[in-house]
Amino acid sequence: MQRYLVAPRDWIASLGDIAKFAARDFGEVFGLRVFRFFGEALRQAGVLILGSTMVIWSLAFILGLQCGIEGAYFNRSVGAPAYAGVFSAWCDLREIMPYAFGYMMSAKVGTGLVAEIGAMRITDEIDALEVMGISSMTFLCATRLLASFMVLPFMYLAAVGAGFFASYLAVVQQIGEVSSGGFFLIFWMFQNPPDLLYSLIKGMAMATVIVIVGTYYGYTAGGGPVGVGTATAKSMVLNTVMVHLVGMLGTQIFWGANPRAPIGG
Amino acid sequence: MSADERRDDQATPPSGYSVPEESDQPDTEQEDAPNPWDLQKQEAETEPGERTTAVTFEPEREGEEEDDEFKWHTGKATRDESAESDAVEFIDVKKAFGRNTVLNGLNLGIPEGQISMILGPSGTGKSVCIKHMVGLLYPDEGDVLVHGESVPNMRDDDLFEMRKKFGVLFQDGALFGSMNLYDNVAFPLRQHTDKGEDEVNEIVSRRLKEVGLGGAGEKMPNELSGGMRKRAGFARALVLDPEIVLFDEPDSGLDPVRTALLCELIKEIHEENGGAYVVITHDIMSARRVAEYIAILWKGRIVESGPASELFNSDNQFVRQFLSGEARGPLGME
Repeated sequence: MQRYLVAPRDWIASLGDIAKFAARDFGEVFGLRVFRFFGEALRQAGVLILGSTMVIWSLAFILGLQCGIEGAYFNRSVGAPAYAGVFSAWCDLREIMPYAFGYMMSAKVGTGLVAEIGAMRITDEIDALEVMGISSMTFLCATRLLASFMVLPFMYLAAVGAGFFASYLAVVQQIGEVSSGGFFLIFWMFQNPPDLLYSLIKGMAMATVIVIVGTYYGYTAGGGPVGVGTATAKSMVLNTVMVHLVGMLGTQIFWGANPRAPIGG
Repeated sequence: MSADERRDDQATPPSGYSVPEESDQPDTEQEDAPNPWDLQKQEAETEPGERTTAVTFEPEREGEEEDDEFKWHTGKATRDESAESDAVEFIDVKKAFGRNTVLNGLNLGIPEGQISMILGPSGTGKSVCIKHMVGLLYPDEGDVLVHGESVPNMRDDDLFEMRKKFGVLFQDGALFGSMNLYDNVAFPLRQHTDKGEDEVNEIVSRRLKEVGLGGAGEKMPNELSGGMRKRAGFARALVLDPEIVLFDEPDSGLDPVRTALLCELIKEIHEENGGAYVVITHDIMSARRVAEYIAILWKGRIVESGPASELFNSDNQFVRQFLSGEARGPLGME
């Protein structure tokens, strides 16, 4: 019996460690100590913009096209082609964009953080920072968290915009069973500014979790290159789980009790 | 308690551990009970021509296993009259990782103003010592003092401030892979001083030139050889004019000529800048070249420490074996 409890006990211990790490990381950011290294935070923001923006926007655009096409054909099949905008409004904003953002952040940014910081750990670069009198936690982890807070909201909103634009192209220009005005009438009827805010909160919650998990596994990596590889894989698994957990909780909290749509009077 | 008193305290065994009264110089003073290694040697000498098997372990004597384990650890610590006070002191430091005890009641003083070497077989806790000095590891028991201040009891802010006294050369240089050589060396100056870029440039160029990397500032760490990375790490360690410089196996992975050149460089820069330099190594040639003070670490304790000239003429068989690199002696493969 004992041996069956080993794995769950390790998971709980890891989650506790991650929670403590996250609290420390937030403390460094909201305690404003991270601003001692604002230059590094800006550099990390630049790395995020240059390294991840186009990938995330491209993915958002492609998924927006798919949402538009599926929505247009489904609505035509039930005799309501004018309502294709519902799909674009809901599918893009509420679910697909947060998940796409979460997946891409996990795959590109999260694993990148583990690999980069983990490599620094095993080559003594983190110890070198510490013995220079620089808090490695602040310099490496808090700056990256701050950079993600500075960059990702805008990147996310632009990704939503890319998805909306792609859906418009698919529904109005490609399939063409609804006019531009008809599409936008329904499209805007089924969403309002709070929905965009909720969607942003979902996306940013996922991004924050991913950055925390990535920096945690990188910062605590050990055991040479193999250890860094293992840490990268573990972070990817945990991030994938967390993306779905945050997505489910977000939907339940923001739209679970009230669909926030003109349905049923 | 002064540093000397603390060193004297080494003779006082920690609780649960006893040292025979006559065990100060086990190889020279225990006439009534000659050590087994001497016996082996005598046997080998008195039966010439006969095939003998070198046995490096000692026969177990009931109730004396722990005494035997530390029988070569005289704890003798002598100093030059010219030696200043201690820059770093270890006081009864114990450190274990899981069941593996690495430091086992370590008492050691690193003299100010000298190049000290901590020598010892692989896996005896030399690098762990360095990490204790800069507060990267904390002792399970005992204390580590830097200029009289207890490292384990420092608050984080004080610890980061204290670390500015140190320059550390890690085994592979530990250069930041995302920066070129120039930025690596300039990094501590930019973080800790208000110097303008012109002044930073002047200091960095001087330090790079000192270590023979004057024209390599634009290179990335992955474009450098192992020796160049070490020299670059050395330049970075020196850039804030630290009071204490630590070298973690500076000779590892280097050919003999480059090791000799690096040793010369360490000596030259120490002559120029002064301060306490601590070199961790198991390379005896490096010790002969640069060491002014030597401490030999084994099984988590100091076997003997003192001025290099004294240690190289020590009567302690372990010290003699280690410093001459002999295969036969108290130190075996275990």
